[in-house]
Amino acid sequence: MIEVSHLTKRYRDLVAVDDLSFTVGKGEVVGFLGPNGAGKSTTMRILAGFLPATSGSVQVAGFDVFESPREVKRRVGYLPEHPPVYDALTVRACLRFCADLKGLPRQTIGSEIDRVAALAGVAGVMGRVAGNLSKGFKQRLGLAQALLGDPEVLVLDEPTVGLDPLQIREVRDLVRSLAGRHTVILSTHILPEVAMTCQKVLVVNQGRLVDFDTVEGLIARHLPGRRVTLDDIAFLEEIYGKLVTAPAAGPGPA
Amino acid sequence: MRAALAVARKELLVYFTTPLAWVLLMVVAFFSAQFFNGALDAYRFVALRAVELQSPQVLDRLDLTELVVGRLLGSVAVFLVIAAPFLSMRLWAEEKRARTFELLMTAPVRPLQLVLGKYLAALAMVAACLAVVALFPLLLSFFARGAAGGSAVEWRTVATGLLGLFLLGAMAMAVGMFVSALTESVVVAALVSLLLLLGLWVITILTIGVDGPLRDLAAALSAAEHLGGFLAGRIELKDVVYYLSFVVLGLYLTERAIEGRRWA
Repeated sequence: MIEVSHLTKRYRDLVAVDDLSFTVGKGEVVGFLGPNGAGKSTTMRILAGFLPATSGSVQVAGFDVFESPREVKRRVGYLPEHPPVYDALTVRACLRFCADLKGLPRQTIGSEIDRVAALAGVAGVMGRVAGNLSKGFKQRLGLAQALLGDPEVLVLDEPTVGLDPLQIREVRDLVRSLAGRHTVILSTHILPEVAMTCQKVLVVNQGRLVDFDTVEGLIARHLPGRRVTLDDIAFLEEIYGKLVTAPAAGPGPA
Repeated sequence: MRAALAVARKELLVYFTTPLAWVLLMVVAFFSAQFFNGALDAYRFVALRAVELQSPQVLDRLDLTELVVGRLLGSVAVFLVIAAPFLSMRLWAEEKRARTFELLMTAPVRPLQLVLGKYLAALAMVAACLAVVALFPLLLSFFARGAAGGSAVEWRTVATGLLGLFLLGAMAMAVGMFVSALTESVVVAALVSLLLLLGLWVITILTIGVDGPLRDLAAALSAAEHLGGFLAGRIELKDVVYYLSFVVLGLYLTERAIEGRRWA
């Protein structure tokens, strides 16, 4: 569903993403891990068609992001790092505007807005002015916006930032429920989140891919012989530590 | 087209839910009232003098539309040039600052549709300001009677004057929108477009005392010179072309600036 090949992004002399290649299959939920400044947000912005790549290509559902941006954007729901919220508008007006921008069929807009509002947990604040919402609600409004129109692919940049523990669990359940029908790629700093919601983990460091595998595959390769259950999260921290503190020597044996 | 209308709707919603539009309309109403009163006083003074001096020729030539409405619209024009940057400044700069620009750019919409939507909203704001201004000639027409008993206000001259102001506003908004697309700061957007527009407004003062082609060039570039015809009741092609070329250029450059973000 998502094919990234030899993706490189340079900002003048800073290399944000360096020769990144990976493929995400339909219906997979992939967690995007990496330290701050590893190039996660940049990669996601390129996936969503906001930034151009310096070189390399990104294909979503068979369409090149740069060549046919509108075909890709129609299929991608994107939650940016900073949730895009119009401070002056009410939550409903924000969602209405996004639905119109996405060109959703007029007859179903009302019910579609109610659907995503319920999913993202903003149904109770529909009449409130978005600028007065707490960080958590803004984040959820951003999530609702990404879910509008039920897109095939969801690109979520740190979807649980600013949420309280219960809300984090709700979002986690939501992402899990999307698996299968939707292809999801989400970035996060919170390791338990990855273990609980993602089938595959993609680890980047300094713009380079250091490993990309299923959670089980990572355990087998990096902690050979260790028996771990998915409820025990410490193992992931250990693997993550190994991967991102080692010098970025190029893609792992994925 | 639907996306463009959605953007226009959103922009107007923001203009009218924030104080910006209301403050501006209030300021327009206040200054128009001052200009109107001033022009009316001047007219009364001239008329009384003409009666005192018993010179019917002067009285005959006194034209309420020209002296009162014409002056009002002429003064409002300067005001429009100064006010437009404060309306256009937020069109793109605000989206970039609030990070909603990313939302617009990742929506399955052509940049041109976004540009047209925003511009449509800007034109609606110009129209709203002019609607407030148009109340004053209307007020005048209730009280002033012409020599033949009809209305003393020549509505055709007023209409061409308002059309001229609308074109001037359209030009100012197009220039301002382009500047706004280049920066993340609304203050910079407002100041730079104010500088550009005021520059175009007063460009003829650079050539005071100069004769020949330079002076003609300055007059041809001046936004003020091209308004004269409209205020006098004439619609001239050169004036319409002047304003519309700024509109087209502004829209084109804005579209390029927005589309350019996809490339770098």
